[in-house]
Amino acid sequence: MIHFNHLTYTYPGASRPALADVTLRIAEGEFALVAGPSGVGKSTLLRCLNGLVPHFTGGVLGGRVAVAGRDPVAEGPQALSHVVGFVFQDPESQFVVDRVEDEIAFALENAAVPPAEMRARVEEALDLLELTSLRVRPLESLSGGEKQRVVIAAALVLRPRILALDEPTSQLDPQSAQDVLSALVRLNRTLGLTIVLSEQRLERILPHADRLIHLPGPGGPALSGPPRQVLHQMDLIPPLVTLGKTLGWEPLPLTVEEGRCFAAKSQFPIPNPQPQIANPPSPILQVEGLSFNYNGTPALRGVSLTLGKGELVALMGRNGSGKTTLLRCIVGLLRPRQGEVVLAGESLVGQETADICRNVGYLPQEPGALLFADTVADELAITLRNHGMTNSPPIAPADLLTRLGLSDLAASYPRDLSVGQRQRVALGAVTVTRPRLLLLDEPTRGLDYPAKRELTRLLREWQADGTGVLLTTHDVELAAQAADRVVILDQGAVVADGSPAQVLTASPPFAPQVACLFPDTGWLTARDALAGLGRLPA
Amino acid sequence: MSVRRIVGGAIYALSAAIGVLAFVYPFLFDAQAGGSIGAAHSQDAVLATTALVGLSLVALLVELQGQAISAKTVALLGVLVAITSTLRFIEVAVPMPGGFSPIFAPIILAGYVFGSRFGFLMGAFTLLVSGLITGGVGPWLPYQMFAAGWIGLTAGWLKISNLRSLISTPGYWRLEIALLSIFAFIWGLLYGAIINLYFWPFAVGPVEQSWTSGIGLGETLARYAAFYAVTSLGWDVARAVGNASLILLLGAPTVRVLARFRRRFYFETDPKGFLKPLGSRGSADA
Amino acid sequence: MLDARTWLFWAMTVLVIASSTRNPLYAILLLLIVTLVSAICAPDQNRRAMLLPFRFAATAVPLAALFNALTAHLGDTVLLRLPDWLPLLGGPLTLESLLFGATNGLVLTAIFGGFTLFNRATPVRDLVQLAPRAFHEAGVVLSIALTFVPQTTRSLARIREAQAVRGHRVRGLRDWLPIVVPLLVSGLEHSMGLAEAMVARGYGAVSDRAQPLRSQALLALGLLMLLGGWLAWLFMPWKRAALSGMIAGAGLILAVLRLAGRAAPRTAYRPRRWSGRDTLTVLGCGLALAVVLLPLPGRATLAYAPYPRLSLPPFDPLVGLGLLGLLAPVTVSGSRADHK
Repeated sequence: MIHFNHLTYTYPGASRPALADVTLRIAEGEFALVAGPSGVGKSTLLRCLNGLVPHFTGGVLGGRVAVAGRDPVAEGPQALSHVVGFVFQDPESQFVVDRVEDEIAFALENAAVPPAEMRARVEEALDLLELTSLRVRPLESLSGGEKQRVVIAAALVLRPRILALDEPTSQLDPQSAQDVLSALVRLNRTLGLTIVLSEQRLERILPHADRLIHLPGPGGPALSGPPRQVLHQMDLIPPLVTLGKTLGWEPLPLTVEEGRCFAAKSQFPIPNPQPQIANPPSPILQVEGLSFNYNGTPALRGVSLTLGKGELVALMGRNGSGKTTLLRCIVGLLRPRQGEVVLAGESLVGQETADICRNVGYLPQEPGALLFADTVADELAITLRNHGMTNSPPIAPADLLTRLGLSDLAASYPRDLSVGQRQRVALGAVTVTRPRLLLLDEPTRGLDYPAKRELTRLLREWQADGTGVLLTTHDVELAAQAADRVVILDQGAVVADGSPAQVLTASPPFAPQVACLFPDTGWLTARDALAGLGRLPA
Repeated sequence: MSVRRIVGGAIYALSAAIGVLAFVYPFLFDAQAGGSIGAAHSQDAVLATTALVGLSLVALLVELQGQAISAKTVALLGVLVAITSTLRFIEVAVPMPGGFSPIFAPIILAGYVFGSRFGFLMGAFTLLVSGLITGGVGPWLPYQMFAAGWIGLTAGWLKISNLRSLISTPGYWRLEIALLSIFAFIWGLLYGAIINLYFWPFAVGPVEQSWTSGIGLGETLARYAAFYAVTSLGWDVARAVGNASLILLLGAPTVRVLARFRRRFYFETDPKGFLKPLGSRGSADA
Repeated sequence: MLDARTWLFWAMTVLVIASSTRNPLYAILLLLIVTLVSAICAPDQNRRAMLLPFRFAATAVPLAALFNALTAHLGDTVLLRLPDWLPLLGGPLTLESLLFGATNGLVLTAIFGGFTLFNRATPVRDLVQLAPRAFHEAGVVLSIALTFVPQTTRSLARIREAQAVRGHRVRGLRDWLPIVVPLLVSGLEHSMGLAEAMVARGYGAVSDRAQPLRSQALLALGLLMLLGGWLAWLFMPWKRAALSGMIAGAGLILAVLRLAGRAAPRTAYRPRRWSGRDTLTVLGCGLALAVVLLPLPGRATLAYAPYPRLSLPPFDPLVGLGLLGLLAPVTVSGSRADHK
């Protein structure tokens, strides 16, 4: 149904082709997953399906694409909209109107479909995506997952046979992501809709995929085939699959359920009970009884926590549990109703954010909001200037850039960089004052595995310097790998506070894959498991 | 020059003429007869003027829309109009000196970077949307849209150099920014004068009051000048100074951002679209 | 609820009537009608919004009164005398001119109140739908803009926080740069994402076609006739020919508008429903217009002027009754049978 024949594409003004000689086939009704590191061409490949590449983006395209017998390159995206529905990453930037129903009907209005049929199709789309109860709601009141479902519905009204989605869940929290993916699986099974999806977090969707396409990057050919077959040749894979590959489990387990029977058969010595944390490091941040209300509803209820020098604490919890609110109270963007925040002996409550930020580096959820200068080096200089530290910077900007791995990008325009690089520029902008405490709000959202690893490495360097790190995240694997302590918030109150092994294994929603496989061992990452089994590769 | 260009130019010229006529019209109006009939007549004349300006606005919009408008332009217009209209909230919420309004500088800059057609649409729609969201829709709206549209339109004619210079060699941009500031200053005053003229007949009453039969153009002009000075000059000077300062202080980075964006996204994928690639001279318009 | 077009017609009626009279009694009546309809048809939780017309009146009336007294020196009842050498301001300040100015202020307030009600009574989405079909692109631009405004506000807040976090303080105009630039950049990126999404959903398949030359030429011709007719009407004695020229020009422009609309086929998901209530309101407005515009005997009372000597303004009960036609919306707002 979908054929790519020696497809080569170069963006206008680019030195290297984004896609080089890609030949693939996707059959009708398949659920295809496209994986690969960031920037490797997944989005480009998807956009070739409906002609956005090259009609919308320009550039030079070689080779042929055939989609359900049509030629997107010749016909263009408007003509292909009836064949291929497209869903983009950011639900916010796809809305033209402000009501659910009207948004869904937009495409039909443009196609001049008669009103009676329009109504029927909108009902159908609402029903398929289980949005009927939300039909008159204004779009800004919906959650991220609901918004993405509206976008999918809006694409489905034209009755396409193929649905292409470009990282639709990367901006969503796990619960919303699960809703969206379940909806997609349902569409695939019940309607026979061919789905082509690109995704970073493979573990959620691998079990349902019929085909896995891996784009390894420059130099390597595209791999395509059944998931288990392709996974053997990939490096960036979920921990469960890493374990399976290393331990030679066949057929390769894709879900924890599949892995359990293998795990049960594994022999390993009973692990020692967890040693107590030797010496809790001297505290650098102390939060006592912090309370805050949003319009009367309590968002934080007497939250207390301590953070030691060089410690990394992961703050976890469902959406709306108060994680971001806590960070914002600490940094002074919100004034708490009650409670105390003490940083290295100095109280922070009541101080202005601009003053607090000399000692506290805060990376917001969208680092792009920070960047406005013309070059990377300027971004650092601006922060220094704001604090009046231009002549005596606590850390030489050039050194900081080297540590961040950005020294050869010092003269680049920050917004032209990749997501991971932009985040590092923003980090540079807030750490140039050598803060004692680093606060990060959902730093791994939208990052691919290599960028995540890079971030973890950076954080460890800062920890070695004595900086305390407090980050909020939904990413359980990150917490398992990087955190010294995990704190879980629920509805504004602390419900768990301890080492990752204690906390993460205790509650199922927060348990990493490995912990589910091997309960009661305290193993959290694939590395732990391999070490425990004595199978760590040399 | 193609026939289309000529006809398009004619439409601009004619609608401008109607606008100018509406502007100077009160000065030319001949008192038909004193007394009661004259009184009622002049009010109808005001409505008629509004209708005429409204029609010419419609004509301009039809003309501008008649050229192909791509999705990119629609989305860009929508977003820029939204951002500028949000700025108008600031004007409404925070007490500003006089008639200072932050919406004119963006209109001028957008017209400057993206061309006259874009500028006109941006000006007209900004006034419309900000009117809608601040609840200021009224019979004065066609006048406001018309005048603001012309601000954007004329801003597009100012382009004297290839925009690349703004990014690579800061030499040129000082001149351009200075030019834009002066332009913004003049329009700050002019806009006030135009909109004021709308209210003049309402505030001052019918014919026999301000134009006693027989007084000439000069006298009426003097009266209007006095009216203007008393009611609106201070306001307009504040607006003009505000415009100029905004452009002086924030203009260069803004234009850089817009020009960079234009170069990246508008470059070659709009064969039938609004804008020509940056390589050729200036905007696609005129 | 009434259709947006009905409300617009109502507000325009108020405009026409208010512009055609300087009789303070009618002006007050009109103002009362507008206030009554506002209070009943668009009650607002926000108290301040409801008082807006009154605040407007509180400034407009005295200001207009004062201005008129200072500039127009007609009338017999002299209150004060300013030295004659003052330009424009010199001369007698009379009671009549004060009163006349006050009436002007009342008229302006009525117009303002009428349009404020129009703004409050029509949801913004319906206003967007008012755009004629030829302006579909404009309609989409409006939708996008209106949808994006709340997002811009949130973006603005987010960016201010992000800049505060690196030590930025907003003290002068220049300090707005770190806030304006990211706002602009993120907006621009957003617009490209939006354009992509629109194109992927089939937008532009029709609107990329340009208007035929013939329509363009007709448009130019229409404008020419409009302009020519107006000039002729102003300066030449051929009133009737000039007027017909103007009307023909206007007709031509509107015809091109209609044609352009037909060339861009679109359908509306929410068709506008015209109900009996709309018809009733239109009739009421028509009645009010009739008593004001048609050459009925009572019409002369509209053009009252306090000059040369202050006298009691005349009031024709029939005209007053006709004006009550503007109260029509009040009768229909009781039931809320049809949903938005």
